[in-house]
Amino acid sequence: MRNSWKVARWEIRRNLKNKSFLISLISTPIIFMLFAFVPSFFNKESNEKVTVNVLDEIGVYEQIVQIATENEANWNVLRTDANESEFPKLVKEHEHTAYIALTQEGLENGTIHVYMSKDINDRFLLETRVLQEPLRQQQLAQLELTDKQIAVVGKGIQVEAVSSGEEAATGPGNTDRMKHLIPGVVAGMVLFSIVMTGMMIFTSASQEKKEKVAEIVLSSVTTTELMQGKIIGYFVLGITQVTVWMLFLIPIALWKMDFPLLEYLLVPEMLVLLFIALTGYLLFAAIFVSIGATVEDMTSTSNFQGIIMMIPFFPIAFLGPLLNDANGLIAKVLTFVPITAPSVLLFRLAQLEQWPWMEIIISIAVLILSIWLAMKAAGKIFKIGILMYGKNATPKEIWKWMWT
Amino acid sequence: MDTVLTVTGLGKSFKNKKVIEDITFEVKKGEIMAVLGPNGAGKSTTIRNIMGIMYPDEGTVHFHGCQPGDIPRHKIGYLPEERGLYKNVKVMDMILYLAELKDYPLKKAKQRALDYLKRLGLEGKGNVSVEELSKGMGQKVQFIGSIIHEPELLILDEPFSGLDPVSQEVFKTEIQNLANNGTAILLSSHQMNMVEQVCDRLFMINRGKKVIYGTLEDVKNQYANFKCTIRGKNDLQVLESIPQVQRVENREEAAVLYLEPDIQPAAWLHTLPETLAIQELSIDRISLHEIFIDVATDNHSQLLIEKGEGVYA
Repeated sequence: MRNSWKVARWEIRRNLKNKSFLISLISTPIIFMLFAFVPSFFNKESNEKVTVNVLDEIGVYEQIVQIATENEANWNVLRTDANESEFPKLVKEHEHTAYIALTQEGLENGTIHVYMSKDINDRFLLETRVLQEPLRQQQLAQLELTDKQIAVVGKGIQVEAVSSGEEAATGPGNTDRMKHLIPGVVAGMVLFSIVMTGMMIFTSASQEKKEKVAEIVLSSVTTTELMQGKIIGYFVLGITQVTVWMLFLIPIALWKMDFPLLEYLLVPEMLVLLFIALTGYLLFAAIFVSIGATVEDMTSTSNFQGIIMMIPFFPIAFLGPLLNDANGLIAKVLTFVPITAPSVLLFRLAQLEQWPWMEIIISIAVLILSIWLAMKAAGKIFKIGILMYGKNATPKEIWKWMWT
Repeated sequence: MDTVLTVTGLGKSFKNKKVIEDITFEVKKGEIMAVLGPNGAGKSTTIRNIMGIMYPDEGTVHFHGCQPGDIPRHKIGYLPEERGLYKNVKVMDMILYLAELKDYPLKKAKQRALDYLKRLGLEGKGNVSVEELSKGMGQKVQFIGSIIHEPELLILDEPFSGLDPVSQEVFKTEIQNLANNGTAILLSSHQMNMVEQVCDRLFMINRGKKVIYGTLEDVKNQYANFKCTIRGKNDLQVLESIPQVQRVENREEAAVLYLEPDIQPAAWLHTLPETLAIQELSIDRISLHEIFIDVATDNHSQLLIEKGEGVYA
């Protein structure tokens, strides 16, 4: 094991000194942040206050100013005496300006005309929906209904789903959904990152073979130690990558978002999710390291090896059924299939409010057994493959090595 | 001299074909032992089995001072035939990694690395990326990597191949220095002139089997008959009729007469016909190179059979 650590340290040092690794380490969170903030930056540009001129023939101007303030609408509400027929001309002459005609005729017809200058986007129309309720109240008031009648009619009818039994009484709200969703998303990021870094094991093993350096290293360590060292080394690199990302992203998320992120992350469930991510890494790492040892020339990597590299992304094919029902039959079956188990289990646990502990235990047991088998097979393939110079191994050869 | 390594009855098969068979030899402290043989003879397979990179089907490899079956990796230096280094790392980092793998103190390793880089003409290259080195320079770095930890046993698979004559001389001198300082050296090579200059003992292998094994002097005494080179135009029949001549190679201006074993050169000279045209005449022993060619082309085996001896010594 000591020798495995030496190999692991070397892989870590070698990559941390590698410019392309460092650039990707730092640039990834920066790119994330750019994606997150550039749109809102442009949004700000377009967030210039809209001058809303109200032609008030029905006496609701004060109410509109109040509603606009309450809803934090980015409006500068003004009263206008201009005639509605002049509005098209006026919006042409002024930028960032809207004219709303609150006329008696409009109220009776149930249609309020809004005139906007060209530079105002359609979002403004959505914002004007806040006017619907006071105008409806005004409409009803003119029908001379009692206050109670106005209240009932104004409220309208809403359809609401109600859960049965105890769940209904203690029905989880949005906050409870976040309780599993946030740690699940973070664990998913950890799995994604370490698996992506784990793919570098493939390159590393393949490069070692291509550059014929394996034999000199194997004069000091055994093939098992070399393989273990690579798996540990790239795991540490993956974790380093996630840590750097988190150091960038968590403070920004805390600053920009309005919920207690750390409270969601620092929960016991997080440990289970991270353990699942770790098992996922170990399973895929065993596959990558063994396949890497069979490939010398990356450009002539056969379809077979290419398909193997796609394994971690296999569950994407089932995204639809998984999104539809995280507790459905397909989701449950994929939880027990080794190559889909890590990501599907994380996906399900992030969505489910009640965790199916028995399924989690069985899935983890399946994963641990699969890791053991994959490591045994990887050891055999790596041992022969890494010293086979001059050609890529065929699937037939790899199959034979596994049973030697 | 103390024995450092004993190989006994080593055998290995690939796909039911025996690649090496019954390989037995020893390597002693302070000596240079050469494993010779044509391409595909089984030299690298023998070395890989010794290093534990492959596992033999038969026989044992015993490193003295260790339990049978144990490989004291940190006491062995190895320069494989398949040369390679990590490309995108600095020369010094590469050497220090190899030292670290052998549990050698890094401070001491760095000093030794600087010393050897200077001796091998690579002074100031410690901070250069490996990918910027020429093939020969890379080979020197790999050689430094194999000896950085002061190994007790140094195994060099084709150390001279790919080197220019100057570098070959440098390597030869370093290998001799290491042996003089007590390192046991096992090397395989095709460059017979180099082997002849540096090795103390040799083990010649062909088709996976031992052909010749002994000290260089014994091998020469036993297998290297005398040959007589005569410069001058002579009739082939006349040359072939000279007593104790096994065969004649007649070239344009010179003929090489391969003599029978056990001849007395001085007495044999008296048997030469007086009519022979001689501008120059020299008598010397067949070189290791010629023995090697004989082995590789099976002439040697044929010769031993004709002489009524066993094929393998």
